[in-house]
Amino acid sequence: MREIPDLLVIGAGLSGLMAAYEAAEAGLRVKVIAKGLGSMHWSAGTVDVLGYAAGDKAVSMPLQELEGLQAVAPHHPYVVAGAEAVTEALSRFVALAKELGLPYEGAEEPGRNLWLPSPVGAARPVYLAPQGQRYGDLALAEPIVVVGFEGLRDFYPWVIAENLRKQGHRARGTVLPFALLSERRDANTVQLAQELDELKRVVTLARALKEVVEPGERVGLPALVGLDRHGRAMEVLQEELGTRVFEIPTLPPSVPGMRLYRALRSDLEGRGVEVEIGMEAVGYEAKEENGGFRRLLWVETATSARPLKHRARAFLLATGGLLGGGFDSNHEGRVWERVFDLPLAMPQNREDWFRPKFLDPAGHPVFQGGVSVDREFRPVSPEGKRLFANLWAAGNGLRDCDGIRERSREGIAIVTGIAAARSILVALRREKHVH
Amino acid sequence: MFTESWQSVGPSLDECIKCNICTAYCPVAAVTDRFPGPKYAGPQAQRFRENGQPHAPDRSVDYCSGCRVCNEVCPTGVKIAELNARARAQMVAEQGIPLRNRLLGRNELLGKLGSLAPRLANLGLHNHVSRVMAEKVVGIAREAPLPRFSEEGTFGSWMKRTAGERLRSDRKVVYFHGCATMYYEPFVGKATVVVLEHLGYEVIVPPQNCCGLPLLSNGEFGAARRYHEGNLHKLVPYAQQGYEIVGSSTSCTLTLKEEAPELLDMFDEESEELKLAVWDVFEWLRERYRQGELPTDFKPLPMVLPYHPPCQYRAHRVGRPAAELLALIPGLDVRVSTARCCGIAGTYGYKREKYQIGMDVGAELFEFVREQGREVRMTACDSETCRWQLEHGTGLPSRHPIEVLAAAYGLYDLERREPRGV
Amino acid sequence: MTRRLQTEILVIGGGATGVGIAWDAALRGFDVILVEKRDLTHGTTGRYHGLLHSGGRYVVKDPQSARECIAENRILRRTHPHCIEDTGGFFVVTPEDEGEYPDRFVQACAETGVPCEEIALREAFRREPLLNRRISRVFEVPDGAADSFLATHVTAQAARQAGARILTYHEVTGLLLRGPEGAREVVGARVEDLAGGETLEIHATMTINATGAWAGQIARMAGLTVEVIPGKGVMVAMNHRLVNTVINRCKMPADGDILVPIHTVSVIGTTDVRVPDPEHYGIEPWEVALMLAEGDKLVPGLSRARAVRAWAGVRPLYQEGYTGASREATRQFTLLDHARRDGVQGLLTIIGGKWTTFRLMAEKTVDKACEYLGTRQPCQTATTQVPGAEQGHYWLGHRLHEVEEHELHGDLVCECELVTRAMLENAVYRNPTLTLDDLRRDLRLGMGPCQGGFCTYRAVGILHEMRERAGEAGGEVDRSDWEVAYMQSPAHNRSLPPPSSLPLALSSPNLLLRDFLQERWKGVRPILWGRQLKQEMLDSLIYLSLMNVDHLPDAGLTSPMTAFYEQDAGDVGETEAGV
Ligand SMILES: Cc1cc2nc3c(=O)[nH]c(=O)nc-3n(C[C@H](O)[C@H](O)[C@H](O)COP(=O)(O)OP(=O)(O)OC[C@H]3O[C@@H](n4cnc5c(N)ncnc54)[C@H](O)[C@@H]3O)c2cc1C
Ligand code: SF4
Ligand code: SF4
Repeated sequence: MREIPDLLVIGAGLSGLMAAYEAAEAGLRVKVIAKGLGSMHWSAGTVDVLGYAAGDKAVSMPLQELEGLQAVAPHHPYVVAGAEAVTEALSRFVALAKELGLPYEGAEEPGRNLWLPSPVGAARPVYLAPQGQRYGDLALAEPIVVVGFEGLRDFYPWVIAENLRKQGHRARGTVLPFALLSERRDANTVQLAQELDELKRVVTLARALKEVVEPGERVGLPALVGLDRHGRAMEVLQEELGTRVFEIPTLPPSVPGMRLYRALRSDLEGRGVEVEIGMEAVGYEAKEENGGFRRLLWVETATSARPLKHRARAFLLATGGLLGGGFDSNHEGRVWERVFDLPLAMPQNREDWFRPKFLDPAGHPVFQGGVSVDREFRPVSPEGKRLFANLWAAGNGLRDCDGIRERSREGIAIVTGIAAARSILVALRREKHVH
Repeated sequence: MFTESWQSVGPSLDECIKCNICTAYCPVAAVTDRFPGPKYAGPQAQRFRENGQPHAPDRSVDYCSGCRVCNEVCPTGVKIAELNARARAQMVAEQGIPLRNRLLGRNELLGKLGSLAPRLANLGLHNHVSRVMAEKVVGIAREAPLPRFSEEGTFGSWMKRTAGERLRSDRKVVYFHGCATMYYEPFVGKATVVVLEHLGYEVIVPPQNCCGLPLLSNGEFGAARRYHEGNLHKLVPYAQQGYEIVGSSTSCTLTLKEEAPELLDMFDEESEELKLAVWDVFEWLRERYRQGELPTDFKPLPMVLPYHPPCQYRAHRVGRPAAELLALIPGLDVRVSTARCCGIAGTYGYKREKYQIGMDVGAELFEFVREQGREVRMTACDSETCRWQLEHGTGLPSRHPIEVLAAAYGLYDLERREPRGV
Repeated sequence: MTRRLQTEILVIGGGATGVGIAWDAALRGFDVILVEKRDLTHGTTGRYHGLLHSGGRYVVKDPQSARECIAENRILRRTHPHCIEDTGGFFVVTPEDEGEYPDRFVQACAETGVPCEEIALREAFRREPLLNRRISRVFEVPDGAADSFLATHVTAQAARQAGARILTYHEVTGLLLRGPEGAREVVGARVEDLAGGETLEIHATMTINATGAWAGQIARMAGLTVEVIPGKGVMVAMNHRLVNTVINRCKMPADGDILVPIHTVSVIGTTDVRVPDPEHYGIEPWEVALMLAEGDKLVPGLSRARAVRAWAGVRPLYQEGYTGASREATRQFTLLDHARRDGVQGLLTIIGGKWTTFRLMAEKTVDKACEYLGTRQPCQTATTQVPGAEQGHYWLGHRLHEVEEHELHGDLVCECELVTRAMLENAVYRNPTLTLDDLRRDLRLGMGPCQGGFCTYRAVGILHEMRERAGEAGGEVDRSDWEVAYMQSPAHNRSLPPPSSLPLALSSPNLLLRDFLQERWKGVRPILWGRQLKQEMLDSLIYLSLMNVDHLPDAGLTSPMTAFYEQDAGDVGETEAGV
């Protein structure tokens, strides 16, 4: 009989994939299942670790903020993981990204946040940026020309430039004809990026850019400079123009996020990790074990007919929270975790879910609740008791964090994904399941 | 005409959060402006369609190939491909069915006719003049990879002829062969039968209808409903006796399990019974394997085999069972393609206006096959029309993985496509 | 600095009634100015249920209203066809509604002239498959669905074409009074131009108070008491059409008993609760829950479908001397001639009624004004079509169809509601625009499932780009005539060359962004759970994580609408504009 996997990861977002990577690296047999593709396709493709702390305080050194975090959010995933694990996970990611040929970089001064232009020209706090976005760094002195494309509905260079100027940066906007990108009338950023995988098109674009870029300016483009051949496209542009070129993220679908997803996934598949998308976990089977634990035997996914069983030794829940689809909620004010019905630390009353202002700096309570875990990233009951002998949880579905508000989504995903995988490794070794 | 109900398809549009993931992955939208993409054609446009509307507001939805890449990647569970299929049905209900689609939708009827005089039919169908005519008159692209009628007789006649040689056993399994196996590729059925027998099962082949998929994908829901009802009538008694029903066509099994009930809103008990009894042959074999019941007396098959998991597996949501089992064969270097779709998508690529789109979609797959090196002699895919498209796009022969498995058991000649005499 | 304008008739209030009056009076040859404190339809007209009444709802309880409704229903179908969808309506008898009412209903329909036909259940279920199968009888009536945003805008255009001046974002802060106590006369109003920051004095021979639920406030400015009964009604829009026919319960009017398919949504409503103030009220969780529970009785499962938005409007109900429950108050309208009633000359107040009867209300009001100003011409509104009428009745598929025929997919800004870039540009050039909320009313921008998640950013970018380009040309404001008749048609809106400049009001993209995000938030908050909550989280990700809009410059800027969007009545929900 075929060997069952050591680890079944549920969820193919950044946390799930990072966990799968960490586990596979250590020699575990790993399988990833997910209902669909996730939030990497919506994000900026940067690694945001912590941009705003309590009271909407702008953070410049995220890792130094962790202590403060402990005081206000003792269950915050960073606190659970511990400062050392946070630092280490992030460097692990940097190393991996480099290996994938998709290097990520931080600020000149180690540990400092970069501030990069957002699609409306606000300054985004970013800990690690893909190389393609790195030179948007607002600490750099060169003036910026933001170049858009006539009629491209997901990118507006003039707004970006105007807001950058208001914040004291030298910036201007301009547009080039859309036809430089594509002959199509209707194309999204991913399709346009694919057009720029063609070298000829990149060269033509470079020529057109030359006409509008003034000496000394760096060039900000919408993040669609190639999908599979992004690195080459950026090189060609910089070479032809003799200046720095950087990308500014756009509305979803996120090309930078998709690049990372594809690179990660194919790396995993290269390591023998099976990644199955389109499989929604709908149930599980567990047996009582001495010690009062329950041990998961398998997780079931929906198929066109009968449920399909996925056995494994260890299971990692990385389905995200409300956004990732890990939780659902109803008009009676209930929020629940969808696979194991894990208890959630979350207001179970609709009146307590929101604050009156959308942009309230304190955020909305319903976006801040989630699964409670112990130091090993195993889900626990409200009393702190472990629920399953072989279940772990990671990602933005964990409690006491607000990845969107804090600008910490990717940081949380990477840190908890890796931390959970390590904890799984230790546990499986202890059980001598791994040889 | 479909009825709107709370079951599955229609209301699933409410799940959409407009995130554009589907549109980023749709292989058709990637190659043509004629199709505005899954989000647009599916959950978005659906809000502008209604029962009894003056006329169908949009036609571009007809360019959806039904490959279901969108369903797979959608994080919220919108049944996009099905929404599109229903919108097409509404168009068809209004505008009538072009003769071409009527023809393509009637695999079974065509098969029956063709099998009366297969050589003549092949000659008639496959010469240049008639293909040009077919394109001009009915809109079937002249280059499209139309199948050839089996000139060795149908699968049914083989079963009859070899009745004496067939295994008798207490363990029985029902085989749903589908039209393609019956009339065009009886060898796939033969390979399936010898494999099932190798596992010790007696194979029952009851009378059966076309599953109705070609009709569903051409929007002829009324006729499809009659086919499905026919199958319920013929197959449910077996399900009720506890037999499992395996099929070698991923699209037929999908239709029996899910497509027909969902698209036709047939959620009755019988449909449910049938659904739970039906298995794709590799899904079923994998289950045997997991139970430790699959013989592994494979002979080495030293070759590189590019394998394309067909789109229908995506809808089955059972993973890639054929790839899992082929990987057990010693010497066989299975290269699983990551291409999204071969482009044929059932009968899609046959249509004049869609032929090129189909080929452009398939380019990813053809390229993948080329990348596997010059020593590649054949490819594999579970779905018949995909195999024909693969052959058309790569110039290499293509096999059903069940043929490969049968060959690995030493029961089948992969080159000549026939069982080895025992 | 105070600017002075002079006119014969000053209309206060840019709802259906006020705009109808301006149209009617201008057609009769009067010199007219209309002032509205925000955008047209900011009031109840923009927060109603969307039903073009057949009168069926009132046949038993209020036959006079029923007669008015059916007469006006027929007229509006001719004068405003493109604002109306001929959905037809059912009155259905659910198990709770059995008894004698259905027969009384049929009888009363006959008496009031409301066409009504009992149809076979099979036929009803064929047309509306989701309808509760336990319904025992179904009556068909000529209900319809009406887009009050478009109707009011095109009526305003018709009024302008007839010579009226329509001033939006002009708030009346006081009435100009003349004469001593006892012989007082209203001679116009003091008006703040909220966008331009100017104060105006508009002098008028006759001032007409058409401020609906606010009518008491205006009357008070002349020292008069007009007791408006503010009856708040909550409505919940479901993400798609669950029905394509208006579904009414066949019983005495009550809460949550009508489901109206309008544009891409279906709206269940309403409640009826007295509130102290037409401007400040919230949406209570029980109200939303009640709508869903009642909706389930018409379409079982409705409560599990996706809700996209909730809003509330306040009924301007008036009944001299009435103090009872607001549901019981009459739906008829009242015209107060303050000269007769209070001895104050120069002021009329028109109040009550329904959207369906706005034209009739306008006619009666102008008739009354003629008594004082002298008749010029008879009323023409019943026979005059408003601009755009040649498009015929609205049908749900029209935008989809036009986008398809003209291959405009790539030009969509709001993908949910199919708004193209050119529609947006034209709406800004050709009709006064201050906020994205105005464009929402004009075009349905941001009204679909993602509730502005994608289009808010795009619209801001496009508006800003328009301003930038106008600046490049360096000329003066050039706003061509108000032209809204084809505003909602993708096919009819082609990209225009940029004008030399745009109104100052559009100057801050950051303010536009913040305002609209908050405006959308108000209306979704009461119904955020399940799928819409997931949507809201994606929207948050876009505007916070990706855009960082909460840390943009110009944080202190406000528009005339900012406070309104941010106002919080302390409940879960908030009042909200629009179907
Ligand atoms: C919940 C609900 C549902 C309804 N559903 C329907 C329906 O389905 N069908 C139907 O036919 N009718 C319906 N009605 C009734 C209908 O909406 C109203 O009768 C109609 O819209 C009233 O229009 P109006 O112009 O009189 O008032 P409004 O639309 O309220 O107009 C008054 C205007 O005056 C302005 N204003 C106020 N103060 C000032 C000031 N100081 N200076 C300048 N301007 C000022 C306001 O901003 C407002 O725009 C419904 C009403 C409610 C409350
Ligand atoms: S089924 Fe395939 S072709 Fe159709 S919308 Fe989905 S991804 Fe595109
Ligand atoms: S992937 Fe799913 S949720 Fe996202 S836009 Fe497509 S249908 Fe909607």
